[in-house]
Amino acid sequence: MLKLVGIETYYGKIKALHGVSLEVKEGQLVTILGANGAGKSTILKTISGLVEPEHGTIHFEGKRIDRKDPEEIVAMGIGHVPEWRRIFPELTVEENLKMGGFLLKEKELLFERMEEAFKHFPILEKRKNQKAGNLSGGEQQMLSISRALMIKPKLLLLDEPSLGLSPLLVQEIFAIIKELHQSGVTILLVEQNVNRALSIADYGYVLTTGKIFLSGTYEELLDEEKVREQYLGEGKYIRRSKLWSGG
Amino acid sequence: MTELLTGLLQETVSGIALGCIYALIALGFTLIIKATEVVNFAQGELMMVGAYVNFFFVTTFLSNQGEPTIGIYLLAFGSSIIFAVAFGWILDWVINRPLKDEPIFSVIMATISLSIILRALVGMIAGPLSLVPYSPFGNKILSVGGIVISVLDLSIIFSAIILVILFYYFFNQTKWGVAMQATSEDSVAAQLMGIPVKRVYGLVWIFSAIVATISGILLAPRMSLLDTSMGFLGLKAFPAAVLGGFGSITGAIAGGIIMGVIETISMGTLSFHFEWIKEMNDIIVWIVLIAVLMVKPDGLFGEAKVKKV
Repeated sequence: MLKLVGIETYYGKIKALHGVSLEVKEGQLVTILGANGAGKSTILKTISGLVEPEHGTIHFEGKRIDRKDPEEIVAMGIGHVPEWRRIFPELTVEENLKMGGFLLKEKELLFERMEEAFKHFPILEKRKNQKAGNLSGGEQQMLSISRALMIKPKLLLLDEPSLGLSPLLVQEIFAIIKELHQSGVTILLVEQNVNRALSIADYGYVLTTGKIFLSGTYEELLDEEKVREQYLGEGKYIRRSKLWSGG
Repeated sequence: MTELLTGLLQETVSGIALGCIYALIALGFTLIIKATEVVNFAQGELMMVGAYVNFFFVTTFLSNQGEPTIGIYLLAFGSSIIFAVAFGWILDWVINRPLKDEPIFSVIMATISLSIILRALVGMIAGPLSLVPYSPFGNKILSVGGIVISVLDLSIIFSAIILVILFYYFFNQTKWGVAMQATSEDSVAAQLMGIPVKRVYGLVWIFSAIVATISGILLAPRMSLLDTSMGFLGLKAFPAAVLGGFGSITGAIAGGIIMGVIETISMGTLSFHFEWIKEMNDIIVWIVLIAVLMVKPDGLFGEAKVKKV
């Protein structure tokens, strides 16, 4: 469905991505893991056209999208929930959702989708006339996700949805993501919360300083010592069998 | 005493009319800065160009047939608005798009250069002599309880109110208006919604040119002489916008009106009674501005914005 080949992206003269290749198949939930500054967000921004790659190609459903404007890419069915949610704080919750459905031509469809969002997140309906900036972090995240879902994207890019949320809310957000995935939305998820991300993902890529360093399923990645050492916070990992042999 | 009061009231009324002009210039200016973060120092010149273009259309349609009729005024007005649309669109391509993400200094220099170029160009085309602008309202006046107000001033106030209502409706009730707000709040998130941000910027420049043109058309007859220095009035849009709260549309309007009233009263009653105020007429608005900023650094209607990292 989505295929990146040899993507190199620069911020000015600084190279942020050094030839990233990855693939998301229809119906999958794929996660990109990596430390701060590894380039995870840059991958998503490159996909949605906010930054243009210097080299490499991106194909979505067989069509090349790496030279297109963001609005064309959204129109093709890629929704993006940006890092730190980025709701429009001075607009009301309802207006935020309307903006999410900016590309919908028919008014009825817009209101239908809005009803769906309210059914999913009743709290948003309660607050629909409030300024979005006054919502709590978790509510803002729900709004940001619902806003991206207004156009019923075929592929949803999620950039650190758990950022700055309390553990309880993180749990809730992950439950929402899982539910979305089960309802058939293809998802590309960027997370620092490695354990949780991998537990719901079909496939994971590990990114270090702009390069894909490992990839595999949950089980495969868990087996990799390096992943456990660097990303799962278990410190130096020593296999039990080697514990007594001094290895 | 009653004389003083009627005097003050009289000056307040004509100050409001003048203030409406400032408010409109400040509105055009605020629209641009809010949406695109470009400080347009040429806003006053846009107004001046609008006034000249309208004059040109009136004389063209008139073709020496004596006094212009209402039809001619409306035709000229419509043509000027069409011109403003084209003008705003061109400025978007010439100034806004190339300089969007460049350092603020380049943008300021570009708009200042634009203001000088426009002044010189208009001077070249229209000739060095000041023109006597046409006014559909002539010198008609209304008098209510000792207070005299010209029909022109009334129409200025009236047009300003209509424009503000139109803008308010557009920004809050239409899809593109809300999209404009969204873009000015977070242009990256707006792009992710599929909002064509570049087209929104173009629209903002067009709006700004329209507002400037209308204020130019309204202001010209009030000045009794039309010349290129009219653009300098645009400089007063800055204190007006800052006074009300930078980037706030309500603030721009309130700031403009407050400035107009202060200026008129200080030039009238205050100067009459206090000799020393006469000397300070030119700086009195700036003094008020600094005084307000000392107490409320974000302006009267501005909200203290905390930038999130």
